[in-house]
Amino acid sequence: MQTGMKKEALVSDTTQIEARSVSKTFGKFHALRDVSLKIAEGEFLSLLGPSGSGKTTFLTLLGGYEPATRGQLFLEGQDMTNWPAKQRGFGMVFQGYALFPHLTVAENIAFPLKVQKRGKAAIADRVAQMVEMVGLSGHETKKPGALSGGQQQRVALARALAYEPKVLLLDEPFSALDKNLRGQMQEELRRLHRDLGTTFVFVTHDQEEALALSSRIAIFNHGELQQVGTPDTVYERPANRFTAEFLGDINILSVDDSARGIAGTALELPANVRSFDHVAIRPEHMRLADAGDAIQLPATVRDRVYLGSKSRLLLETRAGEDLMLYLDNGGALQAPEPGADIRVTWETGDSFAL
Amino acid sequence: MNRLRPGLFAKLLTCVVALFLLMPLIAVVPVSFTSRRYLSLPNGDWSWRHYISLFEDPDWGTSLLTSIQVGVLASLLAVLLASAFCIGLWMLRPRFAGLMTGFVLLPMVAPPVVSSLTLYFFLNKLAQWNNLVAYDKLGGVVLAHMVMIVPYAVVVVMVSLSQLDRRMDLAAQSMGASVPTRVFQVILPNIRFGLIGAFFLCFLLSWDEIGVTLFVTSVETITLPRRMWMGLRDNVDPSIAALSVVLICVVTLAIVARAALQFRKARQTG
Amino acid sequence: MRALLCLICPLLLFLGCSYLLPFLGIMQLSFTDPVPGIDQYRHVLSDPLTQSVIWRTIRLCVIVTVVSVSCAYVITLLWVRGSPMVRLLTELCIMIPFWISVLSRAFGWLSMLSNRGLLNKWLQNLGLIDSAIQMTRNEFAVVVGMSHYLIPFAVFPLATAMRNVDERVLTAADGMGASRLRVFWQVFLPMTASGIMGATLLVFVFSIGFYVTPALLGGGQSVLIAELIYLWIFQIPQWGVAAAMSVVLMIAVGGILYLLMRRYGEMAK
Repeated sequence: MQTGMKKEALVSDTTQIEARSVSKTFGKFHALRDVSLKIAEGEFLSLLGPSGSGKTTFLTLLGGYEPATRGQLFLEGQDMTNWPAKQRGFGMVFQGYALFPHLTVAENIAFPLKVQKRGKAAIADRVAQMVEMVGLSGHETKKPGALSGGQQQRVALARALAYEPKVLLLDEPFSALDKNLRGQMQEELRRLHRDLGTTFVFVTHDQEEALALSSRIAIFNHGELQQVGTPDTVYERPANRFTAEFLGDINILSVDDSARGIAGTALELPANVRSFDHVAIRPEHMRLADAGDAIQLPATVRDRVYLGSKSRLLLETRAGEDLMLYLDNGGALQAPEPGADIRVTWETGDSFAL
Repeated sequence: MNRLRPGLFAKLLTCVVALFLLMPLIAVVPVSFTSRRYLSLPNGDWSWRHYISLFEDPDWGTSLLTSIQVGVLASLLAVLLASAFCIGLWMLRPRFAGLMTGFVLLPMVAPPVVSSLTLYFFLNKLAQWNNLVAYDKLGGVVLAHMVMIVPYAVVVVMVSLSQLDRRMDLAAQSMGASVPTRVFQVILPNIRFGLIGAFFLCFLLSWDEIGVTLFVTSVETITLPRRMWMGLRDNVDPSIAALSVVLICVVTLAIVARAALQFRKARQTG
Repeated sequence: MRALLCLICPLLLFLGCSYLLPFLGIMQLSFTDPVPGIDQYRHVLSDPLTQSVIWRTIRLCVIVTVVSVSCAYVITLLWVRGSPMVRLLTELCIMIPFWISVLSRAFGWLSMLSNRGLLNKWLQNLGLIDSAIQMTRNEFAVVVGMSHYLIPFAVFPLATAMRNVDERVLTAADGMGASRLRVFWQVFLPMTASGIMGATLLVFVFSIGFYVTPALLGGGQSVLIAELIYLWIFQIPQWGVAAAMSVVLMIAVGGILYLLMRRYGEMAK
C-alpha cells in the first residue's frame, strides 16, 4: 500500500473542478444523469464503467466538446459551463490518439505551441524537452504513420502536455495497445503524473487499470455516478451491487429472514445487515473452514478449475446460491473433489452488507 | 473456387457486349482517314487531311483554348465552393445538414435538359444586367458549368472528409486552434488528394459538357464539344473523326497506363 | 460558429441564386406564358404530338434500360468474378467508353451505322445485302447509342451488389451439390437483385432526360422529350409549354428517385 499512500500524499485539498448536477441528454436518451463530482488539484481520477455508462460523455463535457444539458461546471471556483474547449485549456488524449498524420512527431508536439504563438526558440526547446520526456528521441522527424501504437501514444501524451495544461483528460488511451505494451504505458503514465503534478482525468473500462493507476475512481453505470473513492475503498467497500460486481469477482449471499444467518446457518453478519439485504465477500477473503473458525457455512463443491498456482472452487450453498473461492495449489491440503461437502469461512470484517 | 468462376457461356456473352462497347470507338478510325469531305470510308485513298485541318483551322484551336479556360475556371471555383461548404458542414454538423447536401446535389440528379433550360433562362436574365457573365459569354459558360459540376466536387470532398478522424479536429480545437488554423493546418492538408481528385473530375466533366453548353452558347463562346456538335449536326464533318481518334487515344492510353500500374502493384503485393 | 457559416453559405447562396431562383422562374413561366393558368400543362398532357413524343420516350427508355442493364450484368459478372486477367480486360472495356466524350461515341455509331459506314460496307462485301440499309436517323440508332452510353453507368451499382455477395454462400450452395446454373439463378441472381433494381432506376432516370445522343442518332426523326423542349425554346418558341414540360419531367424524375431512396432506405434497415 506504499504507492497508494504516495498517491494520497500528492492530492491536495483544493478542489479544482466541480460538477454540480450535470446531465446530458441526446434526444430521449439520458447519457448522463445528475452527476455531482469534485476533482482535486493534482489527483489522478479514473472514470470507470462499462461502455455506454456515461464516463466518456462526462469527459467530453469536462473538456467542453459538448454542452451540458443541465447543471454547472466550475474550474477553480469560476463557472465554466459555457466555456468552449479552447478557453478551458485542458489537454486531451483521444482514443485512437488523433495525431495529425500530415505532420512529423516534432510538428505534432509543436502544434499547440504554435497556436499559442510562442517564440520559435521557445517552441524548439519545449518540443525537445517533451520528446525527451516521453522517450521518443530520434523519432522527431517521423510521421505518425511510421510509428508503433505505443510510440503514437507517447506522441499524443507529449502533444497534450506540451502547453502545460492544468488538467489532462485521457479517453481510453490504452485501449488499442496489446497487453504487454499497456502495462508499460501504465507505468509511464504514473511516472508522468508523479513528475508533473498535473490533474489527470482518465476514462477506462478496465477495472484493473483503474485500480492500479488512480488516486480515486469514479464509477459510472447507466449515466449515473455510482460511487467515488480511493481504489481500496471502492473495491473493499463498494456502495452497491453494481460496483461490487463490476470491480471483480464477488460472492453475494442472501440473508435469512431473521437476519441472523445465511441459508439456515446462524453466523455473525456485518452490523448493519437487515433481513432483506445481501452479504458480500470477495473470493480472496473466503477460505475452507477449520474446526476453530467462528463462521462455518456448509456448501457442496460443484467444480474445481485448475489455474496453475491456484485452483478455483465453485460451490453451492444449501440455499442454492453460487460461491467461489481460491485455493493455493502449493498448500499441503488436498483440494476437495466435486461432490464433496465442505465448510467455508471468512472474517466478519471482510464481509459487507449490500 | 474455380468452379464458381464465370463459365464459357458468360464469357461468350461478355465478348459480345465488349465488342458492342468498343465497336464505335474502332469504327471512327477508318473514317478519320477518308479523303472526302463527308462521312465515308477511305477507298484505298487514305489521307491525313482531316488531322491536318485540326491544326490548320484556327477555330479548333480557339475552341480548345475556350474549353481549357472554362474547365480550369469552373473547376477551381467549384472545388473552392464545394470544399468550403463540405468543411463547414463537417465541422459544424448543423441540424439541416442532410437537407443542405440534398439541395447542392440537385443539379446532379435533375434531368440535364431541365438544368439546361433553367440556366438558359438565368443567363438570359443576367444578359440584361452585364456583358460578362451572360448568355453566350465565357463567364456565363463558366457559371453554367460550375452549377453542373459542383455536386460532383461536393461528393468527392465529402468522401475524403468522411475518412478523416473527427477527433483530430477536436484535438486541434482543444489546443486552442482557431477556425482558420483548423481549416488550413489540420483539415486541408489531410484532404489534399481529395481536392486534387475533385479538381480533375470537375475538369473532365466540364471538358465533356455538352447538354447545358448547347443551351447557353450560340456563336461567340464555343467550347470543343460545342464545335464538335456543330460539325455533327449539319453535315457530318470527318474532322470530328480525326479529333475523336485523338481523344480516344489519349483516354485509352491514360486508362491502360493506370490499369497496368494497378495490375503490377496487385501482383507485387498479392 | 460565424466563421463556419461563412464557409457553408457561399455555395448555398450560389446555387440558390443561379439554380433554385431560375427554376422557380421556370415554374412561374409555366403558369403564365403565354396565358395565365394551367393551359400550358393542359397542352403538355393532351396535345397529340406531345403525347406521341412522351410515349415514344417512355417506350425507348424502357427498351434502353432493359438492354443496358442486361449487357451491364453480363460484363460486370466477369469484371467482379473473373480471373485477374479477365478482370483487367473487362475493366478496360467498361472504363474506356465511360471516359470518352458522348459526342465521340455518337459519332462512332454514325461511322458504324450510316449508309456509307463500316457495318453496311461489311455486309455488302459479304454479299448479304445489295444496297445499304438505313440504320441511322431512326429509333434503332437511338436505342443503340443510348444503351451504349448508359451501360457503364449500370455497371457501378451492379458491381457493388456483386461484390457484396458472400463468397461462402456460393461455395456452400456448390458444396450442397447445386448445379452451376442453379447456383446462379437461385442464389446469385436474387442476392444481386438490389443492384439490378438500382441500376434499372438509375439508367431509366438518366435516359429520360437525355438529349445529345437521340438528337444526333435520331436525326430529327425520332424526337424525345428533351429534344422537344429544345425545339420549343429555339425553333418554335413556346417557352411556357417548355417550362411546363420541364416541371413535369422534374416531378417524374423526383418521384422515381424518391422510390429509389426509399427502397434503399428499407434495405439498409
